[in-house]
Amino acid sequence: MGIDIKDNKMNINDPNNNQEKITRRSARIGKLLKWLKHIPSYLFVGFWSLFTVFVFGWIALSSLKANRAVFKEAWKLPTELHFENFVKAWSVVNLGDYFMNSVIVVFASVFFILLVSAPAAYILSRVKFKGNNLISTIFTAGMGIPFPLLFIPLFVIMANLKLSDSLVGLTIVYVSLSIPFTIFILTGFFGSLPSELEESAIIDGCTDYQVFFRIMLPLASPGLITAAIFNFIGLWNEYQLALIFINTDKNRTISLGLYALQNAMQYTGDWVGLFAGIVIIIVPTIILYIFLSEKMIAGITMGAAK
Amino acid sequence: MRVRKGLIVLFLLPASLLYFFFFLLPAIQALQYSFYEWSGFGEEKTFVGFANYAEIFQDKLFWLSFRNTMFILLVGGVVVFTVAFLMTIALNSGIKGKKLFRSLIFLPNIIATIALTTLWAYIYNPTFGLIKNIAEALGLEKLSNFIWTAPDKVFWSVLVAIIWIQVGYYLVLLMAGVDKIPKEFYEAAEIEGANQIQKFFIVTVPLIWDVLSIAIVLYSIGALKIFEFPYAFYGQSVPSQLYTIGIYLYIMGFGKRYPIYRLGYATAIGVMLLLSVVIIFVILRTLLKRDVLEY
Repeated sequence: MGIDIKDNKMNINDPNNNQEKITRRSARIGKLLKWLKHIPSYLFVGFWSLFTVFVFGWIALSSLKANRAVFKEAWKLPTELHFENFVKAWSVVNLGDYFMNSVIVVFASVFFILLVSAPAAYILSRVKFKGNNLISTIFTAGMGIPFPLLFIPLFVIMANLKLSDSLVGLTIVYVSLSIPFTIFILTGFFGSLPSELEESAIIDGCTDYQVFFRIMLPLASPGLITAAIFNFIGLWNEYQLALIFINTDKNRTISLGLYALQNAMQYTGDWVGLFAGIVIIIVPTIILYIFLSEKMIAGITMGAAK
Repeated sequence: MRVRKGLIVLFLLPASLLYFFFFLLPAIQALQYSFYEWSGFGEEKTFVGFANYAEIFQDKLFWLSFRNTMFILLVGGVVVFTVAFLMTIALNSGIKGKKLFRSLIFLPNIIATIALTTLWAYIYNPTFGLIKNIAEALGLEKLSNFIWTAPDKVFWSVLVAIIWIQVGYYLVLLMAGVDKIPKEFYEAAEIEGANQIQKFFIVTVPLIWDVLSIAIVLYSIGALKIFEFPYAFYGQSVPSQLYTIGIYLYIMGFGKRYPIYRLGYATAIGVMLLLSVVIIFVILRTLLKRDVLEY
């Protein structure tokens, strides 16, 4: 901004004090100008971010109010904290059970997704064999197939296997449909590892099996963690496949439970219960996000911006 | 590296089997089912040839769903990318808290759709919703009386919410592209006397073209598949104003409140959806194909 700091320093020893004052003032004006120039940027992204914080904050605060207060005293902070909203959502409308269903299905799915995808991604990214390109292409194509196309045929398959309306069946669906995306992420990670390590391990007498488990898998662990986070968040929030494959109340995932609560709202008018439900469903992903947001953002950009 | 054949098979087999039996096979079966009239999971199928497809072309509700989906793709896409680009410029202009802003703008992407629909249903609620509250507090009578969920407005209200979610995702992608551009390019442009807008079109866009193309393809395919947000926004009785191709398919196949169970017809809609994805993908690849600038 045209302010020369060196000049400024030299002026400290200058007997002419005026000169120093002028320079300091112009430095201040320069800073102010720079700040003014940034005001539109701050306003734009600031307003957008503030809106997001505000709506989530509003929901969190409202979840501790009484229903009457949500309507009548919308702008007041809750005077007494109604934790019973959460107790009610958790046990009376069974969100607690649905929460546990989601925990079981999502953890099992993420585990099996990685178990089957990591070895496949390793082979496809590092081993030359006839048909590698074809198999890779077939897996990649899965990312373009819209899930609604599968609704009916997959429902028939699951029904024939007696696996519809069961958490095991839903886990199988989740694992199978997550494979293309996971292999895509993991081939990127395995592909970026240096090949000298494999070669020296072979020279040291490792079998190809040991190379994978002892050398490559640990080295690819950042990729495995990224893939696990993405699948965890995606499946925790998943709703359309659960809607197709789960019918009975006891097998609901947390998303389906909240959806049922939202539908019931038309008759009960219990908004605070619904807000408590929202808080319950978003807490796990928010916690992950607080600790891992940089890793997640890096993971998203990895595929697109190599 | 060299690996025993047995290991290749062992490592590829579990993923391939699951992928084949629960993903590719149903996708292929969908093509087959679309040629049948089939009125329930326990019922017999009757082969009807292309009758389902012929019916789709006459079906006003299908075309309404198709139009809505295209609006989400085109109108939503233009707004999402414009806003994401403006944000990229704002965040790269040297302001403080760049990472914090980016994390907050991205936040809706990690929240369950069903929580977001409930949230927006409350924001738009005409009797005591958030907008109503704010407008009343500010004394804006017109705004407070605006019915966001009225039949002629609900689609656009939902689109606003979808844009709010998507902007963060594409902001992250575009920023990753921009962050790779060496600073010297901008310095050189500045010396030549380029302003912000010129710098954007002359330096930024050509140099992130590869990232931008991928982002546009991702957005478009995502928009064609969209199901969850508009479906969950209304609870079980989704009004036709919010139908997308995916929702219409679901209603034809499963429609829980008013069971229709036209399984063959619903699957034919799915095939149309797949076709749309393929066509849009080919169009975009042709339009977006440019020599990538190496730097």
